[in-house]
Amino acid sequence: MADTVETGMIGVDARPARRQQWEKWLIRGIVAAVLLRLAMLMGLSAFFEDLGSVGDWLVEGLPWLCLAVGAAALLPNLSSGIRLQGNRLANHVVGWGIGTALLLIMYFFGPQIQPALSFMGRSARVLVEFTGNQGLFLAAMTALVALSLAVIGSEGQLLHRPGLFERVWAKNLTAKIAAVPMMLVALGVFTGGTIWTVVYSFTDSRLLPREKWVGLAQYERLWGEDRWLISIENLLIYGVCSLVFSIVIGFMLAAMLDQKVRFENTFRTIFLYPFALSFIVTGLVWQWVLNPDFGIQGVIRSLGWESFTFDPLYNQDIVIYGILIAGLWQGTGLIMCLMLAGLRGIDEEIWKAARIDGIPMWKTYLFIVIPMMRPVFITTLVLIASGIVRVYDLVVAQTSGGPGIASEVPAKYVYDKMFLGQNLAQGFSASTMMLLSVLIVLIPWAYLEFGGKERTRRASDV
Amino acid sequence: MASVVVRDVSLNFGVVEVLKSLNIEVNQGEFLVLLGPSGCGKSTLLNCIAGLLEVTDGQIFINGKNVTWEQPKDRGIGMVFQSYALYPQMSVEGNLSFGLKNQRLPADEIASRVKRASEILQIEPLLKRKPMALSGGQRQRVAIGRALVRDVDVFLFDEPLSNLDAKLRNELRIEIKRLHQKLENTMIYVTHDQIEAMTLADRIAVMRDGIIQQLDEPQAIYSRPVNRFVAGFIGSPGMNFMEGTLEVSGSPKVKVGDATIDAKGYDFDKKPEAGQKVVFGIRPEHVMIGEMAKSMPYTSEVEIEIVEPMGSDTLSWTKLGGQNFTFRIDSEYAPKEGEKVKIGFDPARASIFDANTDIRL
Repeated sequence: MADTVETGMIGVDARPARRQQWEKWLIRGIVAAVLLRLAMLMGLSAFFEDLGSVGDWLVEGLPWLCLAVGAAALLPNLSSGIRLQGNRLANHVVGWGIGTALLLIMYFFGPQIQPALSFMGRSARVLVEFTGNQGLFLAAMTALVALSLAVIGSEGQLLHRPGLFERVWAKNLTAKIAAVPMMLVALGVFTGGTIWTVVYSFTDSRLLPREKWVGLAQYERLWGEDRWLISIENLLIYGVCSLVFSIVIGFMLAAMLDQKVRFENTFRTIFLYPFALSFIVTGLVWQWVLNPDFGIQGVIRSLGWESFTFDPLYNQDIVIYGILIAGLWQGTGLIMCLMLAGLRGIDEEIWKAARIDGIPMWKTYLFIVIPMMRPVFITTLVLIASGIVRVYDLVVAQTSGGPGIASEVPAKYVYDKMFLGQNLAQGFSASTMMLLSVLIVLIPWAYLEFGGKERTRRASDV
Repeated sequence: MASVVVRDVSLNFGVVEVLKSLNIEVNQGEFLVLLGPSGCGKSTLLNCIAGLLEVTDGQIFINGKNVTWEQPKDRGIGMVFQSYALYPQMSVEGNLSFGLKNQRLPADEIASRVKRASEILQIEPLLKRKPMALSGGQRQRVAIGRALVRDVDVFLFDEPLSNLDAKLRNELRIEIKRLHQKLENTMIYVTHDQIEAMTLADRIAVMRDGIIQQLDEPQAIYSRPVNRFVAGFIGSPGMNFMEGTLEVSGSPKVKVGDATIDAKGYDFDKKPEAGQKVVFGIRPEHVMIGEMAKSMPYTSEVEIEIVEPMGSDTLSWTKLGGQNFTFRIDSEYAPKEGEKVKIGFDPARASIFDANTDIRL
């Protein structure tokens, strides 16, 4: 027992540096392969086509070569950790290995074997199923399982630092399996879908996507359209106002509720209640409230003030503020709840200390409490911002973009072009512009947030 | 001259009476410790003095001025909290100067006060750091500094050492004592730790259920507790309590089971009555064994049941007069379990309480 531990200890010292080297190369290989493949798709292949058959081979083969280099880097790393002899999962490894071999045989020799198995009747035809690419895929999967089992089984023998393979496969296996659907969705829908959208925004696709490249023509058209420009302007007004007012009103409500008022729960429920309604219902409700004949204007006129006018939804200049009111009414309650939770997280002794120091309440909020609530503010900021960019249903329910096109928003523009106007590429280019504007905000913020942390850590080390 | 006077102060939260008509006078330059178990109202009393809680009834004077309805900042106090309560987004310097800037003091005055406080507390190298980058002890030092720069006469400490580990607590305890010697300010200090109370205090107020049980110098509280609660709360391990009856034939004697303890030399506060039910208390560290026991006025032979070695001392459990009895002696002379030893003590150092009222006789 002591022996194994001791050899293991030596392994700990000798291994990691080399291991990390290999892992680095694996990751580099994969990244290079993906980038190359993308570049080929985007038109780099044309550059190689002049080279004839060698060029063809490069177009198809170069990414795979990168992948192979990466995989080759992994092999020596893995093999150094694996001992089949004395491996506690040796039988399983051999079993999966045999499975791999069988699948490979079927892939290569399926059609030849089939006649020999004629006594099995029609069921022998199943073999054919394994002769295509799917057979190769299955063989690769079983080989991978065999390999990982070998690694897992030998883990107890060498007390080395787990390598990439073990970390990926052996640790928290159940959790990882459970996360697979989510990862697939994230990769497929978010990444894949995004890339697909961007790529096809450079085509002239109309009802169906097709690969006829037109460069930036769709974008030129987009920025020449009044409807898009008004959408952008509306989004800016709506975004800035709803950001500012949501945070200010939400925080003020939270600060008031934090003064240990009576019936706090009741107030909280009242303020949060609109959040339980969908944007469609909110939009309809506020359409009625702001209706000149039945809503606020009608009520006040019936009270005798005949000249009173308040009809934002029917006035092109201020219609977006009518939508803003409904959005604020719906969303502020949630912001208030988040802020209240943040306020409750502040140590009461901070308040006491500020009172002893004689700091007025507004200054305590501004200079001490709000800076301490930074994480809450970031959460609310993300929530509000994502709500702003995707604002769509509220507009549809309240004004359908009217009067005229005065209350159009980008999300509605995208939907209309893609599904109503049968102009896919135009919709794609609009959504790419939306993505771009989000990135322009997001990237500097990420640098600020994560770059900043690095700096403070270094400062505290000194 | 009295620096802080608390006169008939009561505080109710709804129907719960937290403080019941309290009276304390703290002298100029005195170090007063409020000691008691959790929930006894000691922190509440401190918050009332600071003005963070409004009293239901009574008055509070600081330096002869009635401050009962003054804002905390106008009372001339500085306060240090258990959780430090530093402003996390400001540097140490910012923490020290933020309150002063709000008082609109001139910049050079602020700078000189911050400099003086950081010199006294030796936190000059930390001035540019954020509280996050400080250790617990350093943070508490900054918190003390924030009270120091206010240039006030009265310091209030609300369990300032409770968040620190044992070693740091001892170090900072000595520093607070040094600070008090140097500044000669009035300090009121809340704690539930009797060691802190005994080492720091000029006077200790032992509290229970919103009432001050005893307000006296540490030694007096240790040797002449006024009631059974104080006797049991002070001292570790706790005092031995044995129930018995009083006999007054000749010199007063306490009969505990089959043992009779002659209370000759005990200074009775009240005249003892024959047949009165009493509780006889003697501290474990006042019991001697072996040769030293022989010279004591009361001796007895007991069988040791359990020994608990604690390093320097050993705590031995036995029975006296049929009731549990512990004594503490130097580990060098510690008896073994099952051994029969002679023990002895001086009843003059004991405390005798009325069994019904728990008050010292």
